[in-house]
Amino acid sequence: MKRKDSSQLRAFWNEFRRVKFGTVGLALFAVFVLIVLFEPLLMPYPDANDRWRDMTYWLDSPRNAKPVWVNWFTSKDYAVADTIEPTSVTESQVGSLRMVMMEFEYDFHYQRPPADLQLVTTLTGNASIQMELIRPDGASLNYQRATSSSGTRDIRVSVAQNLQDKVFRLASAYADPDVIASENPETIDAMATMFAAAEPNMLRATNPLEGTYICKLTVALTSADSRVDDAMLVIAGGVAGWMGTDASKRDIWSGLIAGTKWALLIGLVTSFVSVAIGVVYGVVAGYFGGWVDSMMNRIFEVFLSMPLLPILIVMGAVFKPSIWTMIIMMCLFFWVGPVKTVRSMALQIKENTYIEAAKALGASHGRIVFKHLLPQLVPYAFATMALSVPSAIVYEASISLIGLGDATVVTWGQILQDAYASGAVLQGTWWWVVPPGLAIALMGMTFAFIGFAMDTILNPKLRTR
Amino acid sequence: MSEPILRVENLKKWFPVKRSIRQVLSGERTQVKAVDGISFDVQKGEIFGLVGESGCGKTTTGKLIMKLLDSTDGKMYMEGEDVTGISGDALAAHRRKVQMIFQDPYASMNPRFKILDVLMEPLVIHGVGETSQERETWAIKALEEVKLTPPDEFLSRHPHMLSGGQRQRAATARTLMLSPSIIVADEPVSMIDLSTRAEILHMMRQVQRELGLTYIYITHDLSTARYFTDRLAVMYLGRIVEMGVAGEVIDNTLHPYSKALIAAVCEPVSGRVNRIKEVPIKGEIPAATNIPQGCRFHPRCVYATQACWEQPEPELFDAGNGHMVACRRYEEILEKGDAAKTSEAEF
Amino acid sequence: MDNILEVKDLELHYFTQKGVVKAVDRLSFDLKKGETLGVVGESGCGKTTMATALLKMPTPPGRIVGGQILLDGDDIMPLSETEIRRRVRWERISMVFQGAMNCLTPVYTIEKQMRETLQQHRQMDRAEAGKRMLKYLNLVGLSSDVLRRYPHELSGGMKQRVVIATALFLEPKVVICDEPTTALDVVVQAEIINLLKTLKEEMGLSFIFITHDLSIEAEVSDRIMVMYAGRAVEIGTNEQIYGPQGSAHPYTQRLLGATPRLHEEVKELSFIPGTPPDLLDPPSGCRFHPRCPVVMERCPHDDVWVREIEPEHMVACWRC
Repeated sequence: MKRKDSSQLRAFWNEFRRVKFGTVGLALFAVFVLIVLFEPLLMPYPDANDRWRDMTYWLDSPRNAKPVWVNWFTSKDYAVADTIEPTSVTESQVGSLRMVMMEFEYDFHYQRPPADLQLVTTLTGNASIQMELIRPDGASLNYQRATSSSGTRDIRVSVAQNLQDKVFRLASAYADPDVIASENPETIDAMATMFAAAEPNMLRATNPLEGTYICKLTVALTSADSRVDDAMLVIAGGVAGWMGTDASKRDIWSGLIAGTKWALLIGLVTSFVSVAIGVVYGVVAGYFGGWVDSMMNRIFEVFLSMPLLPILIVMGAVFKPSIWTMIIMMCLFFWVGPVKTVRSMALQIKENTYIEAAKALGASHGRIVFKHLLPQLVPYAFATMALSVPSAIVYEASISLIGLGDATVVTWGQILQDAYASGAVLQGTWWWVVPPGLAIALMGMTFAFIGFAMDTILNPKLRTR
Repeated sequence: MSEPILRVENLKKWFPVKRSIRQVLSGERTQVKAVDGISFDVQKGEIFGLVGESGCGKTTTGKLIMKLLDSTDGKMYMEGEDVTGISGDALAAHRRKVQMIFQDPYASMNPRFKILDVLMEPLVIHGVGETSQERETWAIKALEEVKLTPPDEFLSRHPHMLSGGQRQRAATARTLMLSPSIIVADEPVSMIDLSTRAEILHMMRQVQRELGLTYIYITHDLSTARYFTDRLAVMYLGRIVEMGVAGEVIDNTLHPYSKALIAAVCEPVSGRVNRIKEVPIKGEIPAATNIPQGCRFHPRCVYATQACWEQPEPELFDAGNGHMVACRRYEEILEKGDAAKTSEAEF
Repeated sequence: MDNILEVKDLELHYFTQKGVVKAVDRLSFDLKKGETLGVVGESGCGKTTMATALLKMPTPPGRIVGGQILLDGDDIMPLSETEIRRRVRWERISMVFQGAMNCLTPVYTIEKQMRETLQQHRQMDRAEAGKRMLKYLNLVGLSSDVLRRYPHELSGGMKQRVVIATALFLEPKVVICDEPTTALDVVVQAEIINLLKTLKEEMGLSFIFITHDLSIEAEVSDRIMVMYAGRAVEIGTNEQIYGPQGSAHPYTQRLLGATPRLHEEVKELSFIPGTPPDLLDPPSGCRFHPRCPVVMERCPHDDVWVREIEPEHMVACWRC
């Protein structure tokens, strides 16, 4: 038994290899499987799966940042998003105060400044912080803040939001009086000015000042149990990650990687279950014929004529949408796909003399169906499965797109839905729309290629063409 | 004469034909009378032949005997027991006793099965044998019986790896697995290479003698029927027109249809090239939905007279020594035929 | 010149993935005017392949790799496919393919199918084409109302007649018939055989009649070529093959011995042990030697080709 199967498999594989797009499909499929297997390695945000909708998880990334490779195609590079650890930490005792000094160095060699610089740290107990930003040309600006409470707090000092006044003042030292008159701290681009060369036109921020920016953080700890932890400087760059970020600062690349397994799951489970049901249904109808066939055909036609999408929408609205109910619903409607073909194939196979021979030997209907008919249909079933994977994925995406997806998981459809909801296309954040769309198309293509290749091999009529 | 192993009495099989709306409304029923009242006995250990042209009902008869089809009318007895309307356990028992060899041995085996699986299938179906080892030894025995040796070599092969003759041997081995008493062989050698045909027939006959089997041999080929069968029945449009000892039916033919059939057969002897073959028959075989009145052969019979279609259909009757014929005027026709022969010789 | 067709050392090989199959191996024979040459052999012996080679239309992956085909004295081997199609195939040599009667398109009337064949080969106005169709239908014993009918309305014998009429259309000199009676019942088979005999007689046509059935060859063919594993093993007149003194080649003898006779009580037929050889790996020397009952020491070593042992009688056997 084993040997027969392996030799048949080998023969099939030899045929398969000759169909080029089949090999391409298989390679793509392998890539998707590898992505699922190595998901933790590929995802820069390891908790993206569970905390996709948790906004606090994404605070450290920039909003609407373009993919990093955009820099490869532009002469004016965007600052790359980054987090910088302190280069030095020194602690000293000044009277009753404990002073913690940290220094962050930021090498800025881009033409476009980051969207924000944020100093992030956790304070415990009474403490006050002082921040000083020193530009490569020596100009500096200060920020102070005292906190006096017990317990632990996250501190986030945003240059773009908290230091606008100071940036304005810094620039005023160089700028033309009439420019100063026409601008005010509310309207200037604080970051652009901050990273602009010191010149009269500084407020209009035309020439970036490249070099090393230093941020000094001094924390004065007033009580014995006061502490400062996890200090870092977040550069909210204009470009971030392989696929950029969305309006909620989420890393789209992580979302795509996390969505791969769901796409595969939805596609494979739905197609496997529905094709298995459909094939058995078709074989039984075709084999028994007569009134059994007529009745089964009517039932089949009822399911065939029901529009799936509206029903899925209603189901999604009535029940708590979950990926599993969605899969079950799709199986409930997808099984009709192979029925007609399988039925006609069964009609054909059952005319073979060996079926008659089995009957003459007294074989039961069950034996004939499972031993003689079904094994012949397995190849077709596999091809159909491969071909029905894409539609399952697309259906899930469609449901998600109208906002009825499973909120506990990340799927490509939901990424698209979020993009749609926040008007990504209007805002021009193409990197939020194109990659998930492409991923869906590519996954569909993968299985379509495999399916077509199998079809070409297993369907002798197509093979001669 | 002892109790026949198989007795068929007035057996009929009519197939309904799809009707047009007009026919349904007018209550008109058309039916293909594939088998239309046949009776014969088969003795134990005998090779009984059913011969005729395509569409004469010989294969349908075989399927009726196999109980692959249910008869419309008539009775069938196996070893004295009525098996006409059996089902359930009785049918399963019948299936064990009666086996079939098909025309195309390749088509009669699932191409995905190995010969071992093919041979084991009847045992598995009927729950015969305790272990698969036991079943395998029987399979080996059956292969030895049909001279497919060494058996081990063939057990693991697929049907497509065998030659036509080997396949038919394997198919025969399958029929032997359940130790049946009757084997229905439907054109078992028509698809076998010429050079191996005789060998297969030889093997079948050997198996039959050793195991005391009874064959029902269905064929359109009169020459092999003559060689292989003990008795044969000639069928025309669902009826038996002549039946008797094979040599007797072929050499001393009584029915005009059998005569035509025999005259049409080619023989591998020289000196016929420049002669037109006279076949005493006219027209073409009518459709089985529209069987002629009276003697159903009369439209094609070169000797037909008015009586042939005005009188009711002639029944099969004994013309002496168990040679049965369904023609009232056979004696008259025989004389005419002889006269024609002598006149031809004179000419 | 009384040979309408001469074939010299014809070789056709199938270039399959598993290797080269010498389906027709150095085949030489001739066909006289107004004669029927029977080609007989078991399935796979190369008889149909040989026929397609004569029309220069081998089925891929087959290729004619050598030999000469002289049709009425002209070598057709060097002719291009276009020339063959325009001037040889169907015009001078035509073929009734095996099972052709089952290949009539079910949705066209007989008239339409015949007209199509006719017009593919020759520009002919409607009236003349119609006249010609009628002529040949009458010749094969069919009435003109057949033209308006569809294939399913005709019996097997009538369809075969239509196919034969189509093959005669362009008045070829040679007609190849590949198993024209195989699917037919004996009575109809006898009618078709009679038809071919009449056509030969009345029109002086030459036929090549291919079948696996020795009995039919005895009935129709003036001369018979017996093929085995791609080679001719015996060529002789009807009398030399079927006559009382018996054929010469052990294969022919055994094949005849394995054929049951209608009017003789035969207790045991002889048979040839073994199976026809696999042409991918044919036996060396005489290809029949592994199954031959009278094999000699040299048979497995030396290739043997047909040679004349008496006038008109060619045998490929070291014993003759």
